[in-house]
Amino acid sequence: MTTQAYFRPQSLSEALNLLDKHGPALLVMAGGTLAVPLVNKGVSSPEKVLGLRQAGLNYVRQANGAVHIGAAATLTQVCQESGVPLLAQAAKNVGGWAVQNMGTAGGNLFAPPPAGDLAVAFLALDAKIKLASKARGERIVPLAEFYTGFMATVLEPDELVVEIQVPKPAGNAVLLKHGRLYTNTPAIVTVAAHVIPSDGKVGDVRIALNAVGPHPVRARGAEAAVKGKALNSETIAAAASTAAAECEPFTDPIATEWYRRKMAGVFVQRALEQAAA
Amino acid sequence: MASKIVTFTLNGKETEVMVKPFMTLAKALRERLGFTATKCGCYEGNCGTCTVLVNGEPMLSCILPAEDVEGQDVLTLEGVTPSEGLHPLQQAFHENYAVQCGFCTPGMIMISKALLDKNPHPSREEVAEALSGNLCRCTGYDPIIAAVQAAAQQSAGSQGGQNG
Repeated sequence: MTTQAYFRPQSLSEALNLLDKHGPALLVMAGGTLAVPLVNKGVSSPEKVLGLRQAGLNYVRQANGAVHIGAAATLTQVCQESGVPLLAQAAKNVGGWAVQNMGTAGGNLFAPPPAGDLAVAFLALDAKIKLASKARGERIVPLAEFYTGFMATVLEPDELVVEIQVPKPAGNAVLLKHGRLYTNTPAIVTVAAHVIPSDGKVGDVRIALNAVGPHPVRARGAEAAVKGKALNSETIAAAASTAAAECEPFTDPIATEWYRRKMAGVFVQRALEQAAA
Repeated sequence: MASKIVTFTLNGKETEVMVKPFMTLAKALRERLGFTATKCGCYEGNCGTCTVLVNGEPMLSCILPAEDVEGQDVLTLEGVTPSEGLHPLQQAFHENYAVQCGFCTPGMIMISKALLDKNPHPSREEVAEALSGNLCRCTGYDPIIAAVQAAAQQSAGSQGGQNG
């Protein structure tokens, strides 16, 4: 089936009306770097497509100690305008230059692992996402509660991701990506660690992983292994081995499950060492 | 199925093209407008040979709906090539053996032009990073990086910047 209609709403309300009217039959896209290849390859043959490029969601704003990133802000915008080095680094790690000019912050949340690294930085900073539907209005969901499985989220069929709200780092934030190439490389594992010190110990900590599970995920066991303790070689090693044990890596042309698990531990260790420094 | 007319600037010239819903810019360029310098390799955003510049920014025309460039400024390799002779990048690719089969060359030239427009004297690492989304299966990349740096050196002498 060829596409019968390509809707290009000029505002969020127009986009939500179109989604309400045409329902889940719509293929929703923003930058197109995930959706258009599926159509080109015949994997997806949508009758109707909703393009969010012009829907007024391509902003990056600072508000109340947080960065509010419109779902259709490009990775290049996140890199240049977020003012948060961790986010800039994560955006820079996605694809090549042209992909960064097209791909969006909201769209990257839906990139299946080993892609989708932006979410690792978002998780480490405890980001929340704003969802909106015509029928029920807006709701805010912590990103840590957004994913429910491989390519599955809490997003309802009539909802769109509107905005990502990212608190600025309160402590040391580190992002490490292990790939096979220096740049523009799929992840073997990506780790982001955010350590908020308190009285010489770890007051709060968030460790996020990608490419070692069905979706970007918090390493809760590894976090528990260092929370409330001093960061030293012993506690860091405990967190690293816990992360390696609790992650759910997979084998693909990039790396084997065994190697990904091994590297998850190694890179959690390195990230915590750097965050402690 | 309602076709639409998309109006945009193509290589400096106001252009209209009739497209079917969701037709890609690459297809509109190649099949509707006869601008065949832009190549389609992988159709999924991995190879970069379909790279064109939209408002000076590299984008992948085979995953970009043509309707999304309505009112925008698009530059393809045809717009880089002067009416006589070669653009400094094309000349440098020729002299540095940066072209073997040539299929990646249109995208390589476009992304290199975008780089030199923003950063006239890139380091080797900056060139490699800018070109990281453009695949070449022949040259091993070294001659291409050398060509971009040679073109940068040459334009440093002439302060060239004509031809788009």
